[in-house]
Amino acid sequence: MNFTRRQFLHAGGVTALAATTACDAIPEALLIGRRVPPRGEGPFQVPTGETTDLVAHALNRLTFGPRPGDYERVRRLGADEDAAFAAFLDEQLNPSAINYPAAENALRRFETLGEPPGELFEYQEKLLLTELTRGTLLRAVLSERQLYEVMVHFWSDHFNIDPSKGDCKWLKTADDRDVIRAHALGRFPEMLRASALSPAMLWYLDGRVNRRAKSADKPNENYGRELLELHTLGVHGGYSQKDVMEVARCLTGWTVRGTNQSKHSLGKVEFNPDQHDKDAKEVLGKIIPAIPAGVKREEAEILGRNELDQVLEIVGLHSATAKHIATKLCRRFIADEPPAAAVTAVADVFLRTRGDLGSTLRALFATTEFRTTRANKFKRPFHFIVSALRATDTATDAPPALMEFLVRMGHAPFHYPTPDGYPEAAAPWMGTLLWRWNFAVALTDGKIHGVKFEDAALRKCFRGDDELFAHFLGRKPTAEETAGGKASGALVPLLLASPGFQKC
Amino acid sequence: MAAPKTLITGNGDSAHALVVVFLRGGADGLSLVAPLQDDGYYRARPRIAVRQAEAVKLDGFFGLNPLLKDLAPAYTEGALAIVHAVGSEDSTRSHFEAQDLMEHGGEVAGGWLGRFLRYRPNLSAGALSAIAFGRAVPECLRGAPAATVLRSLDEFSLGTKAAPIQKELESLYQREGGLLGAAGRDTLDALRRIERLRATAYQPAGGAEYAKDDFGQGMQQVARLIKARVGMEAASIDLGGWDSHLNQGTIMDPLMARLGRGLGAFYRDMGAAMDSTTVVVMTEFGRRVTENSAFGTDHGRGSVMFVVGGGVKGGRVLGDWPTLKPEILEDPGDLPVTTNYRNVLAAVLKRHSPDADLARVFPEFKLEPMPLYG
Repeated sequence: MNFTRRQFLHAGGVTALAATTACDAIPEALLIGRRVPPRGEGPFQVPTGETTDLVAHALNRLTFGPRPGDYERVRRLGADEDAAFAAFLDEQLNPSAINYPAAENALRRFETLGEPPGELFEYQEKLLLTELTRGTLLRAVLSERQLYEVMVHFWSDHFNIDPSKGDCKWLKTADDRDVIRAHALGRFPEMLRASALSPAMLWYLDGRVNRRAKSADKPNENYGRELLELHTLGVHGGYSQKDVMEVARCLTGWTVRGTNQSKHSLGKVEFNPDQHDKDAKEVLGKIIPAIPAGVKREEAEILGRNELDQVLEIVGLHSATAKHIATKLCRRFIADEPPAAAVTAVADVFLRTRGDLGSTLRALFATTEFRTTRANKFKRPFHFIVSALRATDTATDAPPALMEFLVRMGHAPFHYPTPDGYPEAAAPWMGTLLWRWNFAVALTDGKIHGVKFEDAALRKCFRGDDELFAHFLGRKPTAEETAGGKASGALVPLLLASPGFQKC
Repeated sequence: MAAPKTLITGNGDSAHALVVVFLRGGADGLSLVAPLQDDGYYRARPRIAVRQAEAVKLDGFFGLNPLLKDLAPAYTEGALAIVHAVGSEDSTRSHFEAQDLMEHGGEVAGGWLGRFLRYRPNLSAGALSAIAFGRAVPECLRGAPAATVLRSLDEFSLGTKAAPIQKELESLYQREGGLLGAAGRDTLDALRRIERLRATAYQPAGGAEYAKDDFGQGMQQVARLIKARVGMEAASIDLGGWDSHLNQGTIMDPLMARLGRGLGAFYRDMGAAMDSTTVVVMTEFGRRVTENSAFGTDHGRGSVMFVVGGGVKGGRVLGDWPTLKPEILEDPGDLPVTTNYRNVLAAVLKRHSPDADLARVFPEFKLEPMPLYG
């Protein structure tokens, strides 16, 4: 058996840990895959409204669903629902102040997640995808930084990369960390720039072969087009085919060292001024002057590199970009058909704060449309699975059997082929009910290897069936739901499979 | 009585089923369909060539390996078209690289079949729209709107213990409005359908007899699911082990027998249902024209594809035959690829979904679909 240096070190680390166990208490940070700590002692307070109250609404939309005790914890953050919601929002918009030992510990074993781009090439691509996928699922289930995780999911679709193309196999791990996670609640222009220079993105959208070494060379427009159509302005954002070509010309010369070339500096992003188009360009009416023929190579390099920033400056905070991002956020957080007034309000703040995502979200959550449009969204399969694991407080290490359910429902992380990302609206997901019900039954029957549901422990969290219902649905059950629950003799799987739990 | 509607798909009753059989390991096209009249063939393969007298004659030039004789009815009845000297542009001759390129449909993310299913107009894929028979979802189905690995039909049911749950779901989804209510009722219908399916033993039609091997049993399951109209639109099934570097006969003969028998039984069993069904058989590359010293062949380029199905203008061997003249062969002595595999698949996909955006399924490739349908 071949042992890499890293595996060896890893094994050594485990031995060291075992040695520690023998004589000392293990520092919490070293515990691996610990069960989520219960949120105080049950029985917990649950929603009591006939319809979803504001706290339950927040847990539906700003998180991947409440765990037992979450409702009580958040409700107690304020004297009334409004105050509790405001306090929860403050907490969630400052993720670095939230400790999340359970998620941290569960992720500690996935050593590839911390590797710089060049080092990633030392691993088997299958391992990379497995650790990235399991890490994503575990963070969604375990992390206390829920709004942050929800936004990571959102941006993973917005800047979608399917790692099955070229060197993305190795580089997506770095993109997930250095682009998506680094900026998910940060500033949009910074995320956009990180994405533009992400080695995985340069592979995925062919930026690495966008060059003009001689006048006959045609720039590769792939990234330029998606930058305008998907990442910034949006498809009706007022740009022309000419703009796409001009953007592509501005970005000529950027490339990434690939496995198809050499074994050195793999994954390194470089700018080659000799492959940069030095003529003048015009992007959305703004002139980018030519690089004078006589300048030194170093100077041409500085000027050429700078064109990337000029392009991003033009498109990153364009009013069409604000509207595009606001529309997508409102679709995610309010309704499949985003209400126009909310979109305008959110876009305004996006522009005014120069793409500050925390402020932008705050504006969204302050709209009447957000606050009053409740339990109308259909959970996508990933959200459904994660919310089921959270609602039932199920211990899991995100095993392959769980991933299989996501593949069956066509929503496995990092499996969407084209740059537009998984759809957000409900219609494309309506065919997934069979597997949701199947999952509900398999989960509660203990049939999913590596996923441990404990019915008795869950029931201890609540006073009775009605409270269990309210925990799952975010409101009091209807008479029909209560009757159905009694008749089924299997309350938890029925709840997970019921129409009410498919919505958030 | 009206024909049963396909449920849990949104595509009404027009469902076509596409079955992709992938021969992993690089199947030798020259042994599957031998160029009996090409002098180069017998010169290059003095010991392992298909003998003239034993071959199933096709068009006077090509002959089918006798172990594939069960394919003869489909060929003579015009439902089977063969494309020869077909393959991809990948010249690495690496199994992994070549399979990857072929299943992705280029150096592109996701699988060609996955993209096809996801980007059809008016997409509304059902839970069982794509099923992989085997251990894992193959790369060609990567990115599909639903992809299920089938081990047993039991997995499609909620289980006998869940009967009371199912009953209560009926009443909850009955009361639910909108898209979700409709989808719920549709899914409950499908569950009932699958339960009926599980409750009865399958009886193949037309006197077809499937062999007990995995491939035969897999093809039987495919036929069963298509006939039951559970909304399966694509099935993938692998038959691996074609890497015949030595003693080609011992490696290929049992596989060819399985392939021929499985496809033959399927064709027979399906009968009229074959009209809306297509089976495509493909492999990542063919093998060196000249046999090696160990009675085997090494990795090559062009191989063969089979297309069986409704509307196919079959009984023909299509593709430009480049001949096996030494100066024609591609270094280091391989059958050149004269037809790109995408052009075969594109013709099939066009039939299955006339409005499909094939440029999205096979990007960065100028498609010239094969005239499989006339």
